[in-house]
Amino acid sequence: MDSLGRRKFLSKAVLGTAAVTTVVGASSLGSFAPEAAAAQHSASAGEVDPNFVEGRVISAQKGMLVVTSTDKSMHRIHLTGATSVWKLRPTTLDAAKVGDGLYARGVRMPDGTLAADAVWLNIVNLTVHITSIGRNMMHLDHRGDRIVGHVIAGTTAAVYNSTPAVSDLSLLQVGKHAQVIGAWRPDTNEVDLATVYAAA
Amino acid sequence: MIESFASVQQVLLGGVLLWAAVVKLRNPGAAHRTALKRLVGERRVVAAYRAVSCAELVLGALLVAPPAVAVEAYLGAALGVGMLGYLAYAKIKAPESSCGCLGDKETPVRTRGFLRAGVMVVAGVLAAFGTAWWPAAVVDRPLATVGLLVAEAALVVALSPELDHRWLLPLRRWRVRLSHPLASRTGVIPLESSVQQLRKSGAFRSVTDQLRSDLLDSWEEGEWRILTYAARTDNGTGTGTGTGRATAVFAVPLLDYRPDDVRVALVPEADEVLTSS
Repeated sequence: MDSLGRRKFLSKAVLGTAAVTTVVGASSLGSFAPEAAAAQHSASAGEVDPNFVEGRVISAQKGMLVVTSTDKSMHRIHLTGATSVWKLRPTTLDAAKVGDGLYARGVRMPDGTLAADAVWLNIVNLTVHITSIGRNMMHLDHRGDRIVGHVIAGTTAAVYNSTPAVSDLSLLQVGKHAQVIGAWRPDTNEVDLATVYAAA
Repeated sequence: MIESFASVQQVLLGGVLLWAAVVKLRNPGAAHRTALKRLVGERRVVAAYRAVSCAELVLGALLVAPPAVAVEAYLGAALGVGMLGYLAYAKIKAPESSCGCLGDKETPVRTRGFLRAGVMVVAGVLAAFGTAWWPAAVVDRPLATVGLLVAEAALVVALSPELDHRWLLPLRRWRVRLSHPLASRTGVIPLESSVQQLRKSGAFRSVTDQLRSDLLDSWEEGEWRILTYAARTDNGTGTGTGTGRATAVFAVPLLDYRPDDVRVALVPEADEVLTSS
């Protein structure tokens, strides 16, 4: 099924305009399956979680990433159509490039590869203060290090005082503290901003 | 003319030294955050900080007060050179510690600190060429000397990250208040807002244990935003119907905040294959 047809099909499934499939309502589900959850988190305290990988991408081929972690270990990560890939926003498998930083969660296969459920590329979470605001960018100070935060129209959102996210960034103030989630541009001090959390 | 300019360097150098000394003496506790701690050790750092400030106080007073002796200026220049050495040490050995030069604001050593110390060395060397005490030079050429002093003082302030919060931040704040550079955004509903609403919904909580991935895809469908996640169903007996893989499809109200209205459907992979064929 092509992606447009699939979207149409899934929209129908959830909005119920046509009874095409086994649509399971929220109320009828309710099975919390604790054993399934337990199987997922198989690492105990102090152990390395086998189902999690962090590192930098050293080779990116179709559906397979090779990653070196900070402890110098190497991992092969298998991506499928059911793997969520985040790079500033939810994106597709081919967004992973050599040099990207990566966090991946999934299931370790018997052959040592990680079958990834979710991959986050270049994601950073920084507590900063805003030192200046310009057109389409902000200068941020992170413990004395300067960071350039790029505002991406249509993507960058702001959360003020924990209220729902909005695209209006005009309440951000110079000199105030903020927390930013963004996508690092590898080997620079620049970050594309996804969400800025601030007080207003 | 050159001699007048040289003479007024006494007051610049002296003024900066007095300022540095007063700031240090007022808050000796700031010594613990400076690179001096690394240099002389935790135990002696406050004493060393006080000693430096006393030296600055004495030399500053000598430079500003009569008579004008070249050796004062050379001492000032030497202090500037010492400062450069200390900054280099701080940059290499304790890059994240504060300089502690002209204020108790925590400011790591950066290029501006080096430039400022360089300005002090140049001022010291220049001051050595001044033969007259500085008020005489100011009386001699009031406009040129005062203008030069103001410009030099502005340069020193501009090179002092400790003072940014006094002028640079207010200036930027004022500029942003005048017209916010990021104010002209279009009113799109960010995806993050829909995800937040989804997470608050009962529909999401009811299937959260079955979700395997983060957000896979999203699109808009009229008043709804559709969000999909990879999921796993446990309705089968472990055999047949694929491997229990499914897509969790959520419909979130796009324009309103109504988490109770969020809808969910779990679409088994097998059904997708069937309907597509």
